[in-house]
Amino acid sequence: MSAIWTIAKREIGSFFLSPFAYVVLASWVLWQGAMFALFCFFVAGAPVGSASDADPLQMLFGQTTLFFIPLLVFVPVLTMRLLAEETRQGTLETLLTAPVTSTGVVLGKYLAAMVFWAALWLPTLMYVWLTSRFGDVDWGRLGATFVGILGVGAYYMSLGVLMSAIAKSQISAAVLTFMSLGSLFAIGIMQFMQLDDATMQIIRYVSVWQHMQSFSSGIVDSRYLVYDLSLAGLGLFLAVQVLEIRRVEL
Amino acid sequence: MIEVEHLSKSYGARRAVEDLSFSVKKGEVVGFLGPNGAGKSTTLRMLTGFLPPTAGRIRIDGLDMLSEPVEAKKRIGYMPEACPLYGEMRVEEYLRYRAELKGVAGRNIGARVGAALEMASVKEVAGRIIGQLSKGTRQRVGLADALVSDPPLLVLDEPTAGLDPNQIRQVRDVIKGLAGQKTVLLSTHILPEVEASCGRVVIIHRGKLVREGAPDRIRSMGPGASVMLVSRSAEEPLLHALRAIEGVTEVTVRDRVDGALRCEVHTSSEEREELGERVFEALAKAGLSLRELREVKGASLEDVFSALTTTDHAQPAEEPSVPAEEAKS
Repeated sequence: MSAIWTIAKREIGSFFLSPFAYVVLASWVLWQGAMFALFCFFVAGAPVGSASDADPLQMLFGQTTLFFIPLLVFVPVLTMRLLAEETRQGTLETLLTAPVTSTGVVLGKYLAAMVFWAALWLPTLMYVWLTSRFGDVDWGRLGATFVGILGVGAYYMSLGVLMSAIAKSQISAAVLTFMSLGSLFAIGIMQFMQLDDATMQIIRYVSVWQHMQSFSSGIVDSRYLVYDLSLAGLGLFLAVQVLEIRRVEL
Repeated sequence: MIEVEHLSKSYGARRAVEDLSFSVKKGEVVGFLGPNGAGKSTTLRMLTGFLPPTAGRIRIDGLDMLSEPVEAKKRIGYMPEACPLYGEMRVEEYLRYRAELKGVAGRNIGARVGAALEMASVKEVAGRIIGQLSKGTRQRVGLADALVSDPPLLVLDEPTAGLDPNQIRQVRDVIKGLAGQKTVLLSTHILPEVEASCGRVVIIHRGKLVREGAPDRIRSMGPGASVMLVSRSAEEPLLHALRAIEGVTEVTVRDRVDGALRCEVHTSSEEREELGERVFEALAKAGLSLRELREVKGASLEDVFSALTTTDHAQPAEEPSVPAEEAKS
């Protein structure tokens, strides 16, 4: 157990010591800020009464896919190093000959990835603070929103870890992660098409937009959480298997 | 400390290690020898739990590497061949991380890191970023990593590769200093290294064990020695005196230059010590002249090694120090 934390700590340390981390975080905050400003203008400009339920925070987290498109790039960028860099540098050998299991290594990397994910969302608390100064914040709804974000992160980051285990270089890890998240996103987008009910049911689970719409309006839907956690678990399980196979190959 | 039984590793159809068995006792310093590509690194990677073997059994301090990998790995300090390190970390920070990962108790980490820095003589670079260090220094950081958890067994894969002569001496001194307290298995293809630091050698070639024993024992299995001499004395008494020297198997006349005779004297492997001196003494005793005398080929571990590891001779001969079951490979 302590090895998981040791691995995560090293990963987090070297990430936040690199200028790269701040480039990523700054551009992400810039994008979020622009979106938030856009929604604030929209709410402020709406005629009184027409947008009775409008809350810029809810719109930010749940009403737009625009918010999630950049994540298709940011997630790969955050997770690409995790295992691919160990493979490329050869440090996988020192890592796996230390008294740690492959599962411990994968969980350590995943824990670090979840910290990166949290770092992405920490700045949004600033918007919460701003909104609370000039209006009312529905704290229950906000709590549900963050549970939803955590759920999305759980499987986004797990897929990132898996792709980083499969790839032998950071670039290919990033590309693979982008492709897999992009495919899930594309499947989700299909909810806007006219399809039969059964297909629609499945698509609604996959759709990150649908997912966040539910959480941001305060509904903690356990079906989404089951989906998130199963996908996260599957990703991590496969990542461990890939590491085991990688050792046989070397 | 290490028991390897019938270890094999295949990559597809290629067999990197084949039915390899050997053991290393507590406190021994053993050299693991073989030409490049003999399967040394593959074997060490299996011993340290990085590669799963295709077949066979590995026990470290009585613990099976396959069924109790975490416990077994705790007893090993391993330095891989390429000595991979995290370039962005500082030396001391890296060693603290490794100590923590290897399960050194929090309160002991400071002391252990200090001791490892000291032993591997990297104390002066403790605060430097690893990526900026020279190859030799990085190599010693790798050695410090192997030492940091104070494991009873050290497995070092070519610990002196890429070092300059001074650094090589330093690393050898560290290894010598460990003799007695730790069990060391070090791989190399640099033979003086083995002669300098190892009590026993295991030679493998093409994934198979070819010889095992003390370095001087192995040396005595090599070809005999030869000297070349030039003398102005008459041929008949000269050859007679040379052939009378104990252990001399053959004397061949090469050519004549300005009335001087140039010939070569060969001995069997058992009698090859100080051949030059013995030739000189014999000629002096017989009152013969000697213009030139030089060793043509000093039988060294190197000769044995090359004799054993060139394809034709790779089959293990009858070798008393290798138990029958191991020699059959």
